[in-house]
Amino acid sequence: MEYNGGAVVAMVGKNCVAIACDKRLGVQAMTISTEFKKIFQATPKTYLGLPGLATDVQTLAEKFRFKINMYKLKEEREIEPRTLAHLVSSTLYERRFGPWFTEPVVAGLDKNNNPFICNTDTIGCINFAKDFVVSGTSTNQLYGMCESLWEPDLEPEDLFETISQALMNAVDRDCLAGWGAEVVVITPDKIITRTLKSRMD
Amino acid sequence: MDALVSKYAHSSASPLDSSEGFSQAGFDAAQQFALPMFDIPMVSNPIDFLRAHTDPSAENRIRIQHGTTTLAFKFQGGIVVAVDSRASGGSYIASQTVKKVIEINPYLLGTMAGGAADCQYWERELGRRCRLYELRNKERISVAAASKILSNMVYDYKGMGLSMGTMITGWDKTGPALYYVDSDGSRLKGERFSVGSGSTFAYGVLDTGYDFDMSVDDAIALGKRSIYHACHRDAYSGGSVNVFHVKESGWEFKGNFDFDKLHWDYQAQPKGQIV
Amino acid sequence: METLFGITGKDFVIAAYDTKAVASITMMKIGEDKSRNLNDHSVMLYSGEPGDGVHFAEYIERNVKLNGIRHGLEMSPKAVASFARRELADSLRSRKPYSVNLLIAGYDVKKDTPALYWMDHLASSAEVPFAAHGYGAYYCLSMMDRYHRPDITEEEGIKLLKMCINELRTRMILNMPDFVAKVVTKEGIRVVQL
Repeated sequence: MEYNGGAVVAMVGKNCVAIACDKRLGVQAMTISTEFKKIFQATPKTYLGLPGLATDVQTLAEKFRFKINMYKLKEEREIEPRTLAHLVSSTLYERRFGPWFTEPVVAGLDKNNNPFICNTDTIGCINFAKDFVVSGTSTNQLYGMCESLWEPDLEPEDLFETISQALMNAVDRDCLAGWGAEVVVITPDKIITRTLKSRMD
Repeated sequence: MDALVSKYAHSSASPLDSSEGFSQAGFDAAQQFALPMFDIPMVSNPIDFLRAHTDPSAENRIRIQHGTTTLAFKFQGGIVVAVDSRASGGSYIASQTVKKVIEINPYLLGTMAGGAADCQYWERELGRRCRLYELRNKERISVAAASKILSNMVYDYKGMGLSMGTMITGWDKTGPALYYVDSDGSRLKGERFSVGSGSTFAYGVLDTGYDFDMSVDDAIALGKRSIYHACHRDAYSGGSVNVFHVKESGWEFKGNFDFDKLHWDYQAQPKGQIV
Repeated sequence: METLFGITGKDFVIAAYDTKAVASITMMKIGEDKSRNLNDHSVMLYSGEPGDGVHFAEYIERNVKLNGIRHGLEMSPKAVASFARRELADSLRSRKPYSVNLLIAGYDVKKDTPALYWMDHLASSAEVPFAAHGYGAYYCLSMMDRYHRPDITEEEGIKLLKMCINELRTRMILNMPDFVAKVVTKEGIRVVQL
């Protein structure tokens, strides 16, 4: 986790969810890129966040893209976020004795537009949450921010503000994350993606 | 009031002769210039003991401030000193507003890299000794002598876990002077130094933009820029940039510049000419 | 320690490597080629474990060429980088992983843009405007931040590289011999002695 740095957070709102990540790719102390993708669209209403070792982030992003597409072809429907969470879990557990070094986050709306978020550890233990999940190098800071800022039933715009403030203020207390941020708010009828300017040190 | 003072004054110290400065009995040079003594843990090997608690692998690790970028360089108009202001313990940012330039006296500056407490303590001790030197000799200490005092003091604790990389700068009879002193016992006189985890990044910008004949404003701008670039690339440097200018009349604080503002200001400016 | 550089400009990429071949503390050779042309518009630079670089780069080179022959289509720099990344990532979790750092410089003829990919020995890859590998990166990334513009000309790019090399020669404790640069443009790959 600490080798490349990075943070992901997801939150539940009123009929919406939000997921956000920072944009740093580093090699220990040295920042290599400030445009590194950590969250990926899985279905029209589900996103997958993959903070952790950059090589595994990229390998798993490809792997899940393949698995999600295969699911869609076989089932002739989009995968549900809860199903995706179990797919992620079992994919990670396949490598129980030589794990992928990433702690994925799933955030989305299910077929009834009910919010769903969860995260797993590196070997696939799922943690379902009703409020928020955090992952990556800034987890301590993110928990502090989310515990104090989050409240139930936030509207999409308020949820955007909450998750943005939580992430930006958390990574500003973490050496290994930050350098810009990306926020996605998923609502039943649209997806709002925004790039945030933040401290670049 | 006098009664109160005498109550708390050391009973063993004889009263100072107020008209003649130090009396023989009141000033004990051996005591004043002896190295400070510290309590040593009651274990067979104190060095191993300390290491066991500061190693990254230690379970209850004592985290010490480490990441830093500091620089100082001589030029036609004196010396520019520029530093960042981040204190980190592991990857946690403990503070973004640390003062890493230690004002030893109006003519001497010390910079701070490595252990924050080590730098602060020893440079304060250096300040005390420089003041005593001034009082006894009725003239200011040279930068060479001051840096040598610091170097000698920390050298006595070599191998016991002190961690400091500092630059001592100032203006004395010989003009501007710049020394690099570290806890290994190195003491180097030089023109241009950068110390800390971000030092290589600062060197890159500093070396390419440097010219001895540059103006004071250009020198300050270069120092600021070099620290800025180091803060951008090095995860363990950041916060804000503090800049000082050392000239004949002593040092002058040139300002504190928040990194966030600097970044977006620099982004709006055109890039430098490639020379 | 070996050093690799890459800089993109408006219509070109420059990729440079030092020509030093080292075994333990001995300099075995000066003038070693640390690059392979993967096709007419992409070149791979490698550094790291001696031997691994050549093997891996030639393996990628041949497969990229084979793919080009099979499909009668040139792989784009992005495709080349994705392929190389996946091969390296798979090898990472094998019994004997390749230990190589890569820069893939290319010109995307279809999109008419230059492309530069930075990749480390763990197969983390990123598309970047400029990049460096090795200890040289610690000195030169900040210089590139300072002086690089996206619309830089080829002449300025070479100048910037020379500035970087000069900095390494003054600051790095290790002896830095000559560098060789490969310039990739729409027209193809050219070699430039620095």
